[in-house]
Amino acid sequence: MAAGIRDKVAIVGMGCTRFGERWDVGADGLMVEAFAEALADAGIERARIDAAWVGNALDDINVGNSALPAAHALRLDKVPVTRVENMCATGTEALRGAAYAVASGAVDVALAIGVEKLKDTGYGGLPLRTKGVQNDLWMPYGSAPGTFAQLAGAYAARHGVDAGDLKRAMAHVSWKSHQNGALSPKAHLRGAVDMDKILNAPLIADPLGLFDCCGVSDGAAAAIVTTPEIARALGKADPVTIKAIQLSASNGWEMQFGQWDGASVPNTRAAAARAYAEAGIRDPRAELDLTEVHDCFSITELVIMEDLGLSDDGRAPADIMDGRYDREGAIPCQLDGGLKCFGHPVGASGLRMAYEVYNQLQGRAGERQRAKADFGLTHNLGGSPFNSVAAVAILGRLN
Amino acid sequence: MAHGITAVGGYLPLLRLDRKAAARELSWSGLPMPRAGTRAVAGWDEDALTMAVEAARGLMADAPPAALRFASTSAYFTDRAQSAIAVDALALPRSTRSTDAANSRRAATGALLDALLGQASEIVTAGEKRRTQAGSAAQLAFGDGASAVRTGPDAAARLAGHATLSHDLIDRYASQDHPASYAYEERFVRDVAVAELLVPAIKAACADAGIAPSALAHAACAEPVAATWKAVARALGCPASNHCESVTAHAGDLGAAHALYGLGLAFAAAQPGDFVLLVGFGSGVDALVFEVLAPVPGAVDMAAGLSAGQPLTSYSRFLNLAGSVDLDWGMRSEFEQKAQATVLERIGRDMIGFVGGRDSLGNVQFPKSPMPVNPALDKPEVLEDVRLAELEATIVSVTADRLNYTPDPPFDFGLVQFDNGARVLMEMVDRPDGGFAVGQRVRMRLRIKSQNPRLGFRTYFWKAAPLARPQLGEA
Repeated sequence: MAAGIRDKVAIVGMGCTRFGERWDVGADGLMVEAFAEALADAGIERARIDAAWVGNALDDINVGNSALPAAHALRLDKVPVTRVENMCATGTEALRGAAYAVASGAVDVALAIGVEKLKDTGYGGLPLRTKGVQNDLWMPYGSAPGTFAQLAGAYAARHGVDAGDLKRAMAHVSWKSHQNGALSPKAHLRGAVDMDKILNAPLIADPLGLFDCCGVSDGAAAAIVTTPEIARALGKADPVTIKAIQLSASNGWEMQFGQWDGASVPNTRAAAARAYAEAGIRDPRAELDLTEVHDCFSITELVIMEDLGLSDDGRAPADIMDGRYDREGAIPCQLDGGLKCFGHPVGASGLRMAYEVYNQLQGRAGERQRAKADFGLTHNLGGSPFNSVAAVAILGRLN
Repeated sequence: MAHGITAVGGYLPLLRLDRKAAARELSWSGLPMPRAGTRAVAGWDEDALTMAVEAARGLMADAPPAALRFASTSAYFTDRAQSAIAVDALALPRSTRSTDAANSRRAATGALLDALLGQASEIVTAGEKRRTQAGSAAQLAFGDGASAVRTGPDAAARLAGHATLSHDLIDRYASQDHPASYAYEERFVRDVAVAELLVPAIKAACADAGIAPSALAHAACAEPVAATWKAVARALGCPASNHCESVTAHAGDLGAAHALYGLGLAFAAAQPGDFVLLVGFGSGVDALVFEVLAPVPGAVDMAAGLSAGQPLTSYSRFLNLAGSVDLDWGMRSEFEQKAQATVLERIGRDMIGFVGGRDSLGNVQFPKSPMPVNPALDKPEVLEDVRLAELEATIVSVTADRLNYTPDPPFDFGLVQFDNGARVLMEMVDRPDGGFAVGQRVRMRLRIKSQNPRLGFRTYFWKAAPLARPQLGEA
């Protein structure tokens, strides 16, 4: 395996808008909001940005194609700007592009920014799109909850888990995120919700109820990355560094070849294994202090805990019910509320996850602050369980 | 061996509406409604073509037919041959002659007569899903369904005689400006149909067969209005029961498919040596007399099909499926697909034929791809065609999606695994009472995949359905 980029890239500034139903602002305003906070945090001027990667997954919803909407919004003058799109893993993909540019020595300072303006669709849930004129001839048009709901039945069948027990564990996932979201000032959904309400909510896609599904939001998040040397020069004595960023994409094996049991997301496992190796993490259960994972649906988070190696296969429901991933648990998950409550403006989510870990590592997470926060993991999942792009990033401190 | 009918097939959609319950919903109006029996109701994604293909699926035999004739008065496309689409859906050679017969409920019997007179091996398949107006008697009297006949040598029933009368008696009609069937007074229709069309034509067909009408053991006579056969039988001195009445009672008037479905029931009840009458009605009469030589393959299954299905208890759901109400499904329903002819030309045959590919190591995949999905292969190769439509599969994962727009929620879909290795993400149809479950075995059904009403186009693909249907209780 290649040496990787561990500690070759520092994050010197981050910004994140309030996520939610941002009727008041367009995609350009969201990007400016996140960018301005990141610049202030980094303590640099806009002119220091050598290159930028903008992540935006659903370009037809009021953002627009290409790099130009971001270049226009941020008035980046003759800067190489690249738009990236990798479904819901887009935010981390933008960070990966910026980080690789710095690590390669091609640029000194790079911007990663993700944005989505979903509430201009006019309806709840993600917008509908063609799957391409060829796939449209055969591929079903399931909704996002419809695709991820299928993890539940397959998981229950694979591990012999009672459907009621699984539903309660899923409900605990959402309950926990609502508890955390209530402490997160920029979160979309800030109300705590009791278990009965979660368990008795209307079904969206069997067995997922309303509270098993994350919020669909407007928002943007940004990161400014540079070399550790420049970070120190900017006054960041012990900067947050990227320990690893790894990505894995389906080649059709899950949905076309008859071996996958439907109870896990193989790309998460592949990306995590490579990220642990890149970061030098041998025992993630002991070494990771917190995770921000792609909890688009409660069952997704449950399965991710196993895919990341934090629970044994078949044990995630029990670990969840034991509180391992609660705020005071051994490895808290979604301290900021996660996709579930912080919200999910698709192109921004991967960077929003990094924003929470970045703040936790620097002791800036307010009421949510974890006492020990040396290593944090973000997991960003695009597509569906059977056709996915999984991105795993690990952040820590340089020293 | 004699040339004639070698096999028959039928298809009825899953749902059955209790006419009495439906009529009760309209009792306040005082409108006259048929109240006896049930009506077969097609799914939103079924049309005359999909059902006609389903009816013909069991008629493939050892060798493909020389021709496929499709008959319907409700075919979706008016300048795109349903028969040519069916050739691909049934994976028949493109050298198969294809013809659409339309514009009369008699289209199927006329096509069958032509096939029989041509002494060729052919498939005649008829499907019907007619537009009706809420409140009309026709909406409850009609049914959706299909029937098919295979002709060829080594027949189980031979054509003994026949007669045709072309007579523009307007018992009912549909037109471009009035696509829902418009019916005239029943007593007028019955009197004229019996005296001027049916009795003369049946007499002539029996004479051609060299038998008296009293020698007919069974009849399959499509009646323009109820009790027509009773009057015909009295006039002819014919004791045969009319099996089309069973179709009407259990499934409804299937239009162009009606007489052939009744013929299947007649064959199921007949013994070798019996004479069976087939009558198609509409703008005239086709009367065909068959001598049964042996049990007719497929006939018993057609009879069994009448009693299998699922009660449709919601009248408003029926109105929705029948296209009689225009519900506001919200913004998600505004999503529009446009199929491209270039893509259909490139891969459409694999789609509607559900043809996957076998790689050099024996694994099958769908769709085919230049680079096999099999991880053991790392070079491009040409995959061998494998038809999946006739195979069973097992559900790997599934959900009932209640967010996604579908005209008849919920939207069931998931991964299904074929025993030959192919794994396909598929929609599921004919939802059982308890829904679908992981591990359940499924079979494939041809359905509408997408429709674009604005552009007047639809595409077809296969969907997974339970292997068997539940038995209906007594209606």
